[in-house]
Parts: sequence; C-alpha cells; structure tokens
Amino acid sequence: MQAIGFILVGLFLPLFPLSILFNTVLRRVDHALLRSALLLTWPQIGVLALSLFADEPPTWLLIWALATSVLYAFRLLAMREVGRWTGFLATSAWAALWLPASAGVDPVQLVLYAAAFSIPLIILTLLARTLEVRFGAAYVGLYGGLAIGTPRLAGVTVITVLAATATPLAPSFFAMLNALAVATPISAVMLAAAWLMWSWAAIRLIQGLIVGAPQPGPSQDLNTAATWGYSIGLVGLVLAGLILMGNNL
Amino acid sequence: MSIPLGSRLKIRAMIHVAAEPIPFFWPMRTFIHHNPLHGLEHLPFEQAVREGAELFHGNAFLPRRIYQSYLAAGTVERDVLSTSVSRFLESRESIFGIDLHHWLTALMTLVDETVTRPRTFAEVADIGAVLHGNELHNTDTNLEELKGYLRGKLLGGRPIYEAVDALYGTEIGKELDELMIRSCLDFFDEGQSVWGMPGREQGLFAAWRDMANRNVRFYSYGRHVRRILEQDQRPEGVITYVLEQLGVPERQWVDYFTRELARLHGWTGFVKWRATAHHYHWADRFPGDLVDFVAIRLTTALALLRKHGRRHGNELTLDGITEAIETRTAEIYLRYEMHTGQALPVMAHAIDQALQRGRDTEIQNVLGEYLRRKTHQEAREQCGRLLALTEAADAKPALLQLSEGDLAQLLDTISAFEQQEGMIWLRALEANAMQRLLDGLDTSRPLVREKRPFAQALFCIDTRSERIRRHLESVGDYQTFGIAGFFGVPVSFMELGKGCETHLCPVILTPKNLVPEIAAETQQDAGAVSALEKAMHELKESVLTPFVTVEAIGLLFGFDMIGKTVAPRTYNRWRRHLHPEKPFSRLLLDKLSREDADSIVRAVQRAVIVKAVEQELGLPPERMTDDMIRSLRESALGHEPTLSSAEALQMDADKADAFIKRLRTAYRINRAFADQQMERLGRIGFTIGEQVNYVAQALSSIGLTEQFSRFVVLVGHGSSSENNPYESALDCGACGGNHGDVSAKVLAQMANSRPVRRILRSRGIDIPDDSWFLPAMHNTTTDEIKLENVHLIPPSHLVYIDRLRGGLNAASRRCAAERMPSLAIGEERPMEAGAAYKMARRNAMDWSQVRPEWGLSRNVYFVIGRRDLTARTSLHGRAFLHSYDYRIDTKRRLLENILTGPLVVGQWINMEHYFSAVDNERFGSGSKVNHNVAGRFGVMTGNLSDLRTGLPSQTVLKDSRPYHEPLRLITMIEAPFEHARKAVESVVSVRNIVQNGWLRLLILDPETGEVSLFEDGGWQKTQLPSHETLPAQEAVLS
Repeated sequence: MQAIGFILVGLFLPLFPLSILFNTVLRRVDHALLRSALLLTWPQIGVLALSLFADEPPTWLLIWALATSVLYAFRLLAMREVGRWTGFLATSAWAALWLPASAGVDPVQLVLYAAAFSIPLIILTLLARTLEVRFGAAYVGLYGGLAIGTPRLAGVTVITVLAATATPLAPSFFAMLNALAVATPISAVMLAAAWLMWSWAAIRLIQGLIVGAPQPGPSQDLNTAATWGYSIGLVGLVLAGLILMGNNL
Repeated sequence: MSIPLGSRLKIRAMIHVAAEPIPFFWPMRTFIHHNPLHGLEHLPFEQAVREGAELFHGNAFLPRRIYQSYLAAGTVERDVLSTSVSRFLESRESIFGIDLHHWLTALMTLVDETVTRPRTFAEVADIGAVLHGNELHNTDTNLEELKGYLRGKLLGGRPIYEAVDALYGTEIGKELDELMIRSCLDFFDEGQSVWGMPGREQGLFAAWRDMANRNVRFYSYGRHVRRILEQDQRPEGVITYVLEQLGVPERQWVDYFTRELARLHGWTGFVKWRATAHHYHWADRFPGDLVDFVAIRLTTALALLRKHGRRHGNELTLDGITEAIETRTAEIYLRYEMHTGQALPVMAHAIDQALQRGRDTEIQNVLGEYLRRKTHQEAREQCGRLLALTEAADAKPALLQLSEGDLAQLLDTISAFEQQEGMIWLRALEANAMQRLLDGLDTSRPLVREKRPFAQALFCIDTRSERIRRHLESVGDYQTFGIAGFFGVPVSFMELGKGCETHLCPVILTPKNLVPEIAAETQQDAGAVSALEKAMHELKESVLTPFVTVEAIGLLFGFDMIGKTVAPRTYNRWRRHLHPEKPFSRLLLDKLSREDADSIVRAVQRAVIVKAVEQELGLPPERMTDDMIRSLRESALGHEPTLSSAEALQMDADKADAFIKRLRTAYRINRAFADQQMERLGRIGFTIGEQVNYVAQALSSIGLTEQFSRFVVLVGHGSSSENNPYESALDCGACGGNHGDVSAKVLAQMANSRPVRRILRSRGIDIPDDSWFLPAMHNTTTDEIKLENVHLIPPSHLVYIDRLRGGLNAASRRCAAERMPSLAIGEERPMEAGAAYKMARRNAMDWSQVRPEWGLSRNVYFVIGRRDLTARTSLHGRAFLHSYDYRIDTKRRLLENILTGPLVVGQWINMEHYFSAVDNERFGSGSKVNHNVAGRFGVMTGNLSDLRTGLPSQTVLKDSRPYHEPLRLITMIEAPFEHARKAVESVVSVRNIVQNGWLRLLILDPETGEVSLFEDGGWQKTQLPSHETLPAQEAVLS
C-alpha cells in the first residue's frame, strides 16, 4: 500500500521515469487553457496524495527525486520549444518538492510551493500561445529581437521566465529558499545544481527570443489590456509570495 | 615541410589581392575619413555598393520608409521620381491591364516593405494558386534543386567553418573571431596594457606561434595547433598546409582569403595600413602583416574544426561537405534550415527530433512536409505583399485577372525595380540638392572693391567653415577664402617636448620637410600636479597597486568626477590653472646650411661625450676641457688613430681603446650615426625657393594675388572635447586628422618673410609691407577663433587688433546661435547668441557629452570657385568651399591640385558619412555609448569586437533617423567647360570616381552661364536662368 502511495505521488510530483506520463499528456494537450489547468492541478494532486497515502519518504527516494529534478533541469538547457521547456521546468521544480515534503513541511505550505511554481508556468504557457499565433511556433533561436519588434511581449516574457526560474522576489524563490533550509548537504547541492541550470536555461531562452535583430515586416505586440493583465498578475504573484511565503524564512 | 620561395611569394601576392576590397584603417589618434568601399572604387557606384553590401553584409541604401519621409518633407521631388520610373519602364515590356508606372510609383511612395523577396521553392504558379484560393500545383521534393541550392549556400569561397556552423550550429566562426581579436589585442597593443605580449619583436606570426604553444586560452585545442604549426616555420607554409587539409582548390584561395579577411574587416584594415605605414614607430618595432594574420586565422580555424570534428564526422573539408550534400541531401538541407534560423517555427521541433534520431525515413517524411509548408508559406507571404501593393495602388482587381505568365512578368519587373530603387531615390535626392545649390548661386558680376577689405581670412574648405565665414562677412569689412586646411604645405611636425613626427597634410601625401617646434623661453618645471598625475597613472596601471590605491585615494577621483559632471566649465578652467602654460615657441622653418647642420651635430656629440665621461669615468663636467672633448670625438669618429687626451683623462692605452669603443657603440658617436643625423637635419625646414613656391601656390590657388589687407588671417581649425576617442575625427582632415594651427603658423611665417615677399614680387604677387599674415585657430566645437602668435604682430598693427578680435568674436557668437539648436535635446528652437555660445563651450568640456558637435555631418557640396558665387546664400554648413579663380590658372595646374588633394579627401569624407548613415552597424561604428578603447589605436563595441570603423551613430543619426542625408558629393567647378573637363580628365583618380559615379560633377561655365552635369556617361547641359557673364579669360589676362 505504501509503495502504491509513493508511485501515485511519483506520478504527480514526477519522478523519472513516471515523469514521462506528465510530459506526454502535456505535449498532447494543445489548448492553452487545458494546459494551464494541467499545470495548476497536477502537482496539487501530488501534494494531496502525499498527505493521504504516503508517509515520510525514504532517503533514496528523496535522492531519486532530486536526481529527477537535476535531469530535467539539464534537459531544459537543450530544449528550444517553449511548451516542452515549460513541461521540463515544471517536472524539475515539482520533483524538488519532495525535499520539503520529506522534511515534514506543513501540507498547506506545500500547496503554496506547488502553486508558486505553477502560476508563472501558466503565464508562460499563455505567452507561448501568443508566440505561436504570431510566429507559427514558440521556438527559441529561430526568430529573435522581440525586445525591438514587440517590446511589451518581450518585457512580460522576461519577467515571467525569471519568476518561473525562482529569481528573487518571485514566490518560487522563497519556496526554493525554504527547501534549501531543510536540506541535507547532498540534497542542497543537488537542488542548487538544478536551480543553477534553471537560471542558465532561462538566460538561453531569453537570449534566443528577446535579443537580436527583429523579424522583417510588421509584428503585433501585446495590446494594452493584455499587458496590464499580465503585469497585474505578475505583481500580484510577487506580493502574494512575499505575504504568504516570504515571512516563513 | 617547407614550401619554395616561388610558392611563398604567390601566397603573399594572393593575400595582397584578396585584401584589395578592404580599406585601410588608420589609428584613431589621427582619424582619417575614408570610403569603406574604397577598394571597389574601380567599379561603377551601383555595382560596387552591390558587391560591397554582399561582402560586408551591409545595406547600401536607406530603408524605403526613410526615403518616403524625405518625399513628405519635400527634399525629393515627385516629378523626378516619376521620370525615373518612366525611364526604368522603357526597358520593360508592358503587362496588359496593369498601369506599371502607377504601380511602381505607389510601391515607392506608399508601401513600406519590400514586395519581392528571394523565394527558395514557391513558383509563380504557387503564388497564383494562393492568390485565387486554389491548391498548390506541385509540392514533390526535387532533390536536384535542393542540391543546387545547398551548393550555392555552403560552397563557393565560403570558409569551411561557416558551412560547419550552418549545419551543426557550432559557432566556430564566432569563437575563431574572438580568439583572433584577443591575439590582435595582445600583439598590436600600443601601451594600453601593463604587461605586453612577449617576443613581439619577432613579428606577429612568430610571437603568436611561441605563445600558442604555452597559452592556457588555447588549452582545449592546443594539441591541434601544435600539430599544424609543426608543418612549417613560415606563415606561408602554414597557410598552404591548412588550405590543402581543408581541400580548398588553389583557384579558390583568393576568394577564400577575402572572405576570411572580411569577417574582421576593421582589424584587417588596421593590419593592412600598419604593414605599409612609413616611419610608424609601433610597426617598426613590432612588425606584422596580413600574411601573418591569415596564417594565424587559418591555423586556429583548422584546430577548432578538428576539435569539433570528433562530433561531426567528415564535414570538415570541402570534399566532405560536397559529399554530404550529394548523399545526405535531405538531412543537410534540414540542418541548414535549422541552424541558420530559417526553419519554419511550426516545424522546428519535428525537424530537431528527426535530426536527433537520424532515421532516414523520418528525415525524408519531415522534409516532404517541410517543403510543402515552406512553399505554401513563401507563396502566401508573396501574395500578401502583392495585395498590399495593389491596395496602395488601388488596383486589386487587375492583379486577380493576371495570367500566370503576366504574374511572372509582374513579379520580375517589381523585383528588378526594387533592386534599382535605392539608386532612383538617391538620384532624386541629389537632383533636389543640385537644384537648391543652383538656385542659391549668385552669378552676377562681382562689384569692384574701391578699397581693400579690413581683413582677409583664409579658412579651411571644411564644411564647418562655411557658417563662420558667412557670419564673419556679415559683421564687417571681411573677405574670406577657402583653402585646404594644411594651406598647401605638407609638413612633418615635431612638437616641443615630443620625439615623434606628425604629418600635417592629407594622408595621400607624404611630407618631405620636417618642422620642429623650439621653445623661445625657458621651459618651466612640470610642477607638482603633473608629477602627482604621473604617480597616480603609474599606480593605476600597475598590477597590484590599484587595490590599495582605490582604498587610499579613491575619494579624490570622486571629487574629480563631481567637478567634471556638475560644473564642467568652471572645474576644467580651475584644473587648467594647475598646469604650467606651454612656453612661447617658434617653428624652425628655414633650411639649415650644411655648416649649420654640422655645428648642430658637433654640439650634440659634445654634450653626449661630456655625459659619457661623467657616467663612465666619474669626471665632473667642470674638469673637462674643450681639447679633451675634441680629441675624444675625433678618435671616436676615426679621425685620430690614438687618443691624444688619454693622459689628461688618466687612462692607459687599453682603457682608452675600450672607452672609445664604448663611445662608438653605446653612445653612438660614430660616422654612420653622424651621417644619419646629418640626413635628418637635412629634412628640417624649407629652402627659400620652396617657401616662395608654397606661398605663391596657396595664394594663387584661391585667387588672392592682389588687394592684400592689413591682416591676412590664416585660420586653421580643430575641435576640443572630453572623453571622446573620436576627437580627431572632428579635427582637420586636410591636416591628417590634426589641429590646423601649426599649418597656419607655417604659411604665415613663410608669407611674412621679407626674402620670400621680395621673390614673390618679382613673380607678380606684390604683398604690401603693411600686410601681416596672422595665424589663428578656429575651435569648431565652441566656434571660438583664437589669434595665434599675437606677440609677433608689428606695433603698427596693434591698434587694429581689437577691431579684428571683435569681428571674430561676433562671428563666433552668431555661428553658435545658428548651430547649437540642432545639438539641443528635443525640438530645434532658435537660441540667443550668448546662450548658444555658452552651451557650445560647455559641450567642449562635458565628459558625458557624446555629441560635442555635428562635425562634418550633412556634408553634400564641394564648390570650387569664387566666394561671390555662394556668398549671398546660406549653405547651412553643408558645403566644402574651395576658392578658385580660373582666370589666373591658364594651365589648369591649380585646379588639378585642388582636384587631386582636397576634392579626393572631400569625397572620402562624404563616402564615410554616406555609408555610416545608411548602415551604421556595418559601415559605421554603432553607438559610442558601448565603445571601449582598444590598444590605444581603435575602439571596439563592448569588451571584444572587430575594430569599429566608420562614424558612430551619434555623428550621423539623430533620434535613430539619419541626421546626415546620405548623398554623393555634389561637386561644382566654376570654370569654362573645356577648362574644367580637361583638368578632370588629366587627374586619373578623379576622372575614375566621376565616371564611376562616386561623386556628382557639375561644371558652371561663367562665360556662358551653362551648367554641365556628368550623368550616365555623358554631359547634360542646361542654362542658368539669370546669369551675367564674367569677363573672358583672355580679357582678364591681358
């Protein structure tokens, strides 16, 4: 029963190779809203399953989870398709949640941590959809220069990517700090390695989309309402992170 | 392996030829404006810009929307465009149902984007199908077509690593460029680095070779470098080996070298210039040329290819790439599309996956789907642009009715038109500018002056002189002339306290005469502040001390920074007081006689001997007698076999011999060195004959041979700015990018010389005794004109000096009021003269000012003729004005001189501005804000880039739009048609640039009022509407 519980949790706070299921489902789902729903609910099911069916995970399982996180962070470096990039980052981040879970962090906090990673990824999914509509695909390194061609879209994308990769002031940053606070030296090193690779991957993504010469021809930027919407969402996310998670440090 | 001499020479010749299209890059201390496509000037302008654009990956014309804004602003006439369109259509077949003239006019004036772009696969039938909403006719994969496409893109003179990068995204080219730049920075450094590269005396390749074997930077591929370098000791041998390894056939080597050199054309231009510069200290000391450069580049490239070769199989040679294209066409094509960023985003992931898996069937499937989509996208995009055109032309139904053949013809016509469109806009802009010039000309007979003007002023032909001349003429009884800023006297100048020579003349000339500056009063000590500055500099430059220095005295720099930022004028004035003023000095201008030179050499030798005796023998100077010194000198020079004063110097024979030997070697008291010194002294000064010739030529060339004023002011010019590596770009181009005051002093000193005037009088140029030639300096940043050598003015003239100063000051203030609004931030608004003058002086001292002045921006005209022609119109600082009176130049020699020197320099300046304005990133140097000084001779963008050639965006752009209107130099010669034509024909370089369309030439015949324009290989003549003929040549001369 315990083993089935861990397998169930391992599907939703993905452990390799169970993580393939999430990434396959995410790849098959084409609709941005469905993808967003998936990103929001998937780890929450994992957190719920953990509290219902699994006891404190053994150390080897924790190392496996962190190894999964590092593996997907590493794969993130070479991934150029933004949709899959989002899935890999989600897998890497959610796998890292095993660490606070194993340290007995309050399940409510775990729910917040999972949401802290999911929400920027949901925004990124919506932005990827915008890129698909404008350029045919959200793909890094094929068309650059968003900063010049579509500055609003570029600005929102940069901040979202930074928030998704746990840059200071984003709630995911506090989630990572809290995780590190309860980590053993080995797990801390593994988590830090994954975090470092997220940042590296984020820079590659920004470099491949934002900088460089823009595409010839007119390009349609985000409208004012959408820009305000995204901006309010991101500011709200930061404030919520500061209020709900920042004070735990 | 060592290749024979013949092969080595062949390699050298090939590299020389390959570097032809790349222009020189002069060190920025003496910024030389040059045409970035100078190496292509042998081609017609239109062809050269096409080839240049391809070679340097730049644009030769502005984007259409900018030209359209010129049309809206009235600087382009719609009629001229219409005529050009008609002329273009004369060679094209008409298309039934299409008003091509209307369509093409709409295309130029109403459509922003290019309508036709290169298509890879979409054919006209596909475009027609999309246009009518039908299915595409045929999307089968044509492998032969693909192979041809790939061969064109990946082979044909392209460096192998570029092809590898395009197939695998390896970025070898980028890494190679970075390594080359680092190696060049190490070797060519001119004192910026604290620790220099070792072994530079051996030359570029040899020094690099030594370093490459030890450098940590080359660690990851050092093994490959060493293996390559083992093949030959000489660069030519290494080049041959690398190209053979890469499988490049010898017939392609020149093209291959050109592509390699063009990748870092700034560095290439610098190495090319440096290798050919005469008397360039750093090149003499640390030699290096393009053969070394290419050898290093090819060695590094092959090493990098071999390093990456472990992962990418056989595609490291030309044959390997050719074979891959033939056998793995689908994969190679998909790779090319992916790694050159051309893949359709929607298929990018599928391609990526297929390439990673490497299954042939999957690759073929992806290719089929990709080509179908690509063809469809190309056709759809082409349709979209055509429809946008039809909307602008209000002719959509006509497009839909076209047959496939007519559609093909339409696309072909539009494509051909768009290729020529840049020239059409350019010609239209030039036509308007020519008309404006002609409208402003005053061809009425000049009034005969009853009395001589209060003062005459000779200004440089520089465009910035036009404004101040106009204002000076308007404030009083002043007559001005335009002459090349070196006043026709090529001088090699040695400044007081400096050991190097500065060439004060256009770079196309090499001065023979040396003019040293000699102090006329005792030099003051450097002073405490100077000593402190030197100490600070050394602390900053040392390796360890900066850590301590910052903590200890960093605050002082803070005060300096606050002063420079908050109150630059007051602070800089205060700082200047801390330094001792330069002592009065004179120029050694008269030629030394042999006796004088000999005396100088003897005096120097005596001084050296006294010092040597003091240092080597410990004998104080007061114990030395003239006899002792003479005997030592004579013995050292070999005139005396034994030292007669040995006893007096308390030396035995052996010791005396040893000391004499040391005098000869260490102190260079020997005959060979004495001869060398005599030769150098022989370069000092000008003979009386030379002085007479230079003065006569300068005055004759501008038509000033009579009615000399009391003051003839020779105004050199220069700029002053802070924190500006481009400062010399704002100085006098005719003085080789230096200040022009020394040239003014040289000519003034010659013209004030009594013997010179006596001989001139005998030649018909009678300068009255009360005429005084007075040098002055026009600071183009502040508009201030400062009189020089005032202490030499005869007492009889001093009573008039205040009036002269007042006039110059008034002109300066008026000039500033006209000029400064264009430099103010935001909208241009008229400024009060005082405020403008103050702002100009602040600009010169503000270290944060990226645009202290506009320099030569907006230059467009070069007028060779009388000042009266243009005196009554404002040319807004856009014209080079060279005074010339054909009536005193019957043999056309003066005109030929003007064409050979000033006009050629003007054309370089014009082309530099043209290309920097049309594509500032490629032909200009981008924004100054990101610049860093490299090796003290150039600038780079960021910490590592090609040397930035051309002008910064702050010089030619304003608010990201061209401030400089890019036009070819419109040159007008005022002279009888045949007189001017023959002069142009006789100067080959000028004839070529005129015939090839690098400048626009107008000849205004003052005797007939006819204007002749050289266009399309012939002369087009028109008559000026209002014209009064000048008296004919013969009448004047008689």
